[in-house]
Amino acid sequence: MEKYDVAIIGGGSSGLAALKQLSNLGKQAIILEAGSKIGSKNISGGILYSKKPKKGKVTNVEDLYENFLDDSPFERKITKYILHSTSKDKVYSMDLTASHEYQSNFGYSVLMNKLNSWFAKQSVDISQKFGGGIIPRVHVRSITWNNEGRTIIQTDEIDEFEVKAVIAADGVNSEVAEMVGARSKFTSMQLYQGVKVIVRIPEKIINERFGVNSDEGAAHLFAGDITLNHIGGGFLYTNRDTLSIGVVYHFNSLLKNPVEPHTLIDTLLKNSMVSEFIKDEIPIQKEIDKNLPQEEQLRIRFGVAKLIKSWNDTRRNYLSSTHDNTDELKSKLSFIQDQMVTKYGVTFGTDYVESEYSAKLIPDGKRCRMKKPFFKNILFVGDAAGRGIFVGPRIEGLNVGIDDAVRAANAVARAIDKNDFSQRYLGEYYSQLIDESPYTTDMNQIDKDYLKIFLDATKNVPKDSIGKRYGPILKLMSNDTLRGIAVKFVNILGYDKIFSMIESEDTYVKIPIQLAEKHGKIVSSSYSPNILSLAERIEKLNYTEDHVSHIIILKDSEFMKKMIVLCPAKCFTEEGGKTILQHEGCLECGTCSHETEWRHPRGEKGVHYQYG
Amino acid sequence: MTLLNIAVVVKLEPDFSEGSISYNPDGTLNRSQTKSTLGPHSKIAAQAAFYAKVKYGAKISIGTMSGHIANSALQMAMETCDAEVLHLYNDKIFAGADTIGTAEVLKKGIEKMDGKMDIVFSGHRATDGETGQTGPQIAWKLGFTFLGNVISYDINLEKRTVTAKRLLSLRGISDLIQEIEAPLPVFIAIDPSYKYYFSTASLRLTAEKYQREAHERANNYKDRLQTFDSEELGADKTLVGLVGSPTIVYDVQRVPQGKVIRHAEILDGSNPEHIRKTVTAMREALNAMVIK
Amino acid sequence: MTKEHYRHVYVVIEHIDGELLPVSFEMLGEARRLFDDFNRRYDLNEKVVAVILGHNIKNLSETLIEHGADAVVVADHQDLKDLINTIHTKVISQISLSKEIAEKIEPNYSQEFKKPRYMFFAADSIGRHLSSTVLADLDSGLASDVNKLVISDLDISHFVKTGGKRIMYKKTLEMYRVDFSGFLWTTILCLDNRNEKLSIREYSPQSCNVIPGAFKPLKPDSKRSGVVIDFQPKVSDDDLKIKVLSQKFVEDKVDFDSYNTVVSFGRGIHEAPEKNIKLIEEFAKQLGAQIGISLPISKSVFSASPTISSTYMIPARVIGTSGKEISPMLYVAIGISGAMQHVSGMEESGFIIAINPDENAPIKNVCDIFLKGRLEEVIPLLMEELKIQQQVVQA
Repeated sequence: MEKYDVAIIGGGSSGLAALKQLSNLGKQAIILEAGSKIGSKNISGGILYSKKPKKGKVTNVEDLYENFLDDSPFERKITKYILHSTSKDKVYSMDLTASHEYQSNFGYSVLMNKLNSWFAKQSVDISQKFGGGIIPRVHVRSITWNNEGRTIIQTDEIDEFEVKAVIAADGVNSEVAEMVGARSKFTSMQLYQGVKVIVRIPEKIINERFGVNSDEGAAHLFAGDITLNHIGGGFLYTNRDTLSIGVVYHFNSLLKNPVEPHTLIDTLLKNSMVSEFIKDEIPIQKEIDKNLPQEEQLRIRFGVAKLIKSWNDTRRNYLSSTHDNTDELKSKLSFIQDQMVTKYGVTFGTDYVESEYSAKLIPDGKRCRMKKPFFKNILFVGDAAGRGIFVGPRIEGLNVGIDDAVRAANAVARAIDKNDFSQRYLGEYYSQLIDESPYTTDMNQIDKDYLKIFLDATKNVPKDSIGKRYGPILKLMSNDTLRGIAVKFVNILGYDKIFSMIESEDTYVKIPIQLAEKHGKIVSSSYSPNILSLAERIEKLNYTEDHVSHIIILKDSEFMKKMIVLCPAKCFTEEGGKTILQHEGCLECGTCSHETEWRHPRGEKGVHYQYG
Repeated sequence: MTLLNIAVVVKLEPDFSEGSISYNPDGTLNRSQTKSTLGPHSKIAAQAAFYAKVKYGAKISIGTMSGHIANSALQMAMETCDAEVLHLYNDKIFAGADTIGTAEVLKKGIEKMDGKMDIVFSGHRATDGETGQTGPQIAWKLGFTFLGNVISYDINLEKRTVTAKRLLSLRGISDLIQEIEAPLPVFIAIDPSYKYYFSTASLRLTAEKYQREAHERANNYKDRLQTFDSEELGADKTLVGLVGSPTIVYDVQRVPQGKVIRHAEILDGSNPEHIRKTVTAMREALNAMVIK
Repeated sequence: MTKEHYRHVYVVIEHIDGELLPVSFEMLGEARRLFDDFNRRYDLNEKVVAVILGHNIKNLSETLIEHGADAVVVADHQDLKDLINTIHTKVISQISLSKEIAEKIEPNYSQEFKKPRYMFFAADSIGRHLSSTVLADLDSGLASDVNKLVISDLDISHFVKTGGKRIMYKKTLEMYRVDFSGFLWTTILCLDNRNEKLSIREYSPQSCNVIPGAFKPLKPDSKRSGVVIDFQPKVSDDDLKIKVLSQKFVEDKVDFDSYNTVVSFGRGIHEAPEKNIKLIEEFAKQLGAQIGISLPISKSVFSASPTISSTYMIPARVIGTSGKEISPMLYVAIGISGAMQHVSGMEESGFIIAINPDENAPIKNVCDIFLKGRLEEVIPLLMEELKIQQQVVQA
């Protein structure tokens, strides 16, 4: 049987960070990643932060990867952070850039496929030196301990092998946690469901529209009527030449009031402000005359497709900052455009171009983080350990996972040096490192300084819209001394006691609607986007189908009935009172996992995200 | 340990993806307007060679005959199997060859490769017309055992034999899987369903390593590219090109068109007349011969 | 008149362990039709020669003669039991070049005999490769995937073959094949080089492999007669090192390719799954059709007896992107709405009939006849009508 020192389960940004750190420390580690290649299964909102906490230390992305800032595998540095309250065509906007910058070195918008591929590259040579590396297309089926206490890993794809320690970085739907019984599945109370689309827009149009230069970007958050009465909201982040647009809602609130995820995202896209943000010029093909001979129809179809493809490429190039032959491109573009119009009767109109639809569950760390994130010689990091920061507009996950992974790698390296993988020496030590993490503190209690910055940002908000319940509190909190006392009191009493107050229909829906109605500006849109249907979205995605379903329905329950609505890919339908599953379009988000037997698809199978 | 010597013969083909391909008004392929790429079957052949490289250790050489600039195809093939040697056989007189005229050139090319080959791989067929004769004809000219439709194989380095599974699809009976053993050297035409499989963590790590190496190499593929004309190959001019080809394309005509598009006739399932019409249509559909 | 070195058509027969494949009869049928005409037209007496290799296969000769062969060359030997390309190629070459065999086929033509005039193989996993290697060995040309054959005298002017002069090529086999685009039909000829400026060469046999299903077999006729010629092959020890270790049929696969008709069903069966599937089973039997399903059916959506579920509600029967892509001559879609997923698996079918109560079902856009109605009512009517029309034909 083959032997390796460390197995890291999952090649997302946490797993990759663990590999990098272990390799830096000269240890042998292998990553087992189920996706066809690194980055193809990873989804994030997403912004990657680098933080400078006032107390304690974290390892930031640029600390772990020395070339991060030079190679810039990210999209844009977010320099504007704005919250919009919406009601129909009215929008009330608040600038939260100060709270975004709180204790931050930076926050970059990122696309996970690109980012994680870059991370992987940074570990390749160094991990190989110590006999380790990354193994994609492998799905771990079981981790067991034999009679001699040796840890055996079995997969669906390769022969079993032995390891000394395991780092579980297999995400929010961690199978490792479940198979060894390290924690129970997260509940609807502890989770948010996120759905995202990628919209393509040329770089220079983004710059102009969002008032940024090519290195800078904007983040826009949305609350109010776009939530369709759910707790949570929408977001729009600028990437280099795409936008990440999504909605994130508390799972419990979705269960209470089930609305199809794609309807929720469509609602955001149809908001006139968002419609204006996403619009672009697009070519419209003339319908091909069906009476023409078949080969003529085919010739036209291929001819048009070819021209449109090169029009898109040329235009994207022309409207990007990375070229220097503008005139040449401009004349090329107008030549192609002319051909399209004269040869094939193509016209041009306003619409949006959607490239990728994705979904993910987000663990709310303040509710679900593992208090002791280990089991025997397995250490849990990032989403797998339920660790994410989720406080109002402050949403952080990637940076937490990276820092966790470094802590886990340090703990494992120390165990290897001493050849002691006991719970006491490895697990407890890691748990202690995690307790020391400033991120853990952020998940545990309210930070009064953050609260102040947030309140400062909102101080000009007319108080008449805040409502009876929150008006007095806000007033109270804007006094420094009283705020200090109140925060202390809450943190003693237990942070969790006030969750229901922070996260309520009032804060996400009612107050924003009132604000927008009373004080919002009218934003009108010049067109209505032809929003893709769910079927079209699924068709655009790339799948390797597996005839064997990775999900099995366990029972016909109320919860499963709600999945018919809440599955972002509509995998469930009802047939004669029975819930049935077609797993073929599954986005692997785990929304249905609570009452199903849920596994990640076998190696290489399932969805492959291009952006993530 | 001596490495296996492996050759892969590949073919440059039109890129049939939408947005890349162009047709002339008469339905023929517009070659000058259509991009070229490594043929999908050739790519699978390169993958099969890669398997041997990872599992047994091998030196891989790639050869192609092309009048077009085949560089990008060779580059892709190199990236697929981490080849060390690239051969391009290019001469005006090679043009217009049928399969046997092509096979002669590729045979000469393989003989020019460094060392005696243990295995030569080719694709099952090409997507642009060639139907899979070239592979077996090269094999025959080389005197190598030909194994076609191979879906998996392994090598016994000590006995110097290969065992291969072949998938035989024969109309009228179920598919057959034949397991065959042959001494090296062999010529393998790989089945389109072939997919390599590495069953241990260490093989997977090796595969990852070679894939990265291949990526680097492919970026600088020109360093390893060698071009040969008929002279340099020492080809007999009566055996290559049009002169060496027994067959010619005599005539090209349109396939008699069936229905251009379907316009569904809506019939009522409770109307006996409509039922009669449907059954008649069914029987007519079954009586129409393919093309006669 | 020049001497004729090339005579007859040799048809290489395919069988698996003594079971003859349909394409063998199809090739014999076409060879027979071509040669009856050929002999009449040119006033000759050339033969349709079936060539069969294997072990314990002598009993097949009779069947081959009944299907149109004038002569059967049988190479029956232990070493030919398995399908090994190298060995079979060499034996077929030996047979093709043998004057003794030619003598037994037709003594009048054996004196000058060098090689066969024409050779037919099957365009399948065996014949494609075998034809390639045999022709490489016999040093002549080959056309692949042929679906139409004509023999004629052609006046050819070709810059290489004839040096631009017009030369009459007699008894030339025109071999038609559909090119990869599917729109063009090309005629391939295998022609001698008669250009004096280049080397003069003769290319025979003119050969092709033909697509299974393209030609019709003859009705077997026990009154036909023919000669059976035994051939003792010579196989070298080196070639015997190539060994077939095992050979087995791929089980649990649903064969769609061998059927001209496919009947598929979808969720429309929901009212009485068990009963409806049995009805469809009957209908398919009457049509001689294979049965397919749409994707949802494979998900155990409907409860039915274990026999029915394990026979029909299985992924192997799914037609569509996550199943099989097929193109039978006739496709009948019963209670299938016509999701893209399904359509892409059957839209290439020759003729498509949809049976569906919902006139708005998208399947309407991809069928030739949309028969509106509930399957429970429509199918019995179709079966009744089918019976009537079949009886008329027989009468």
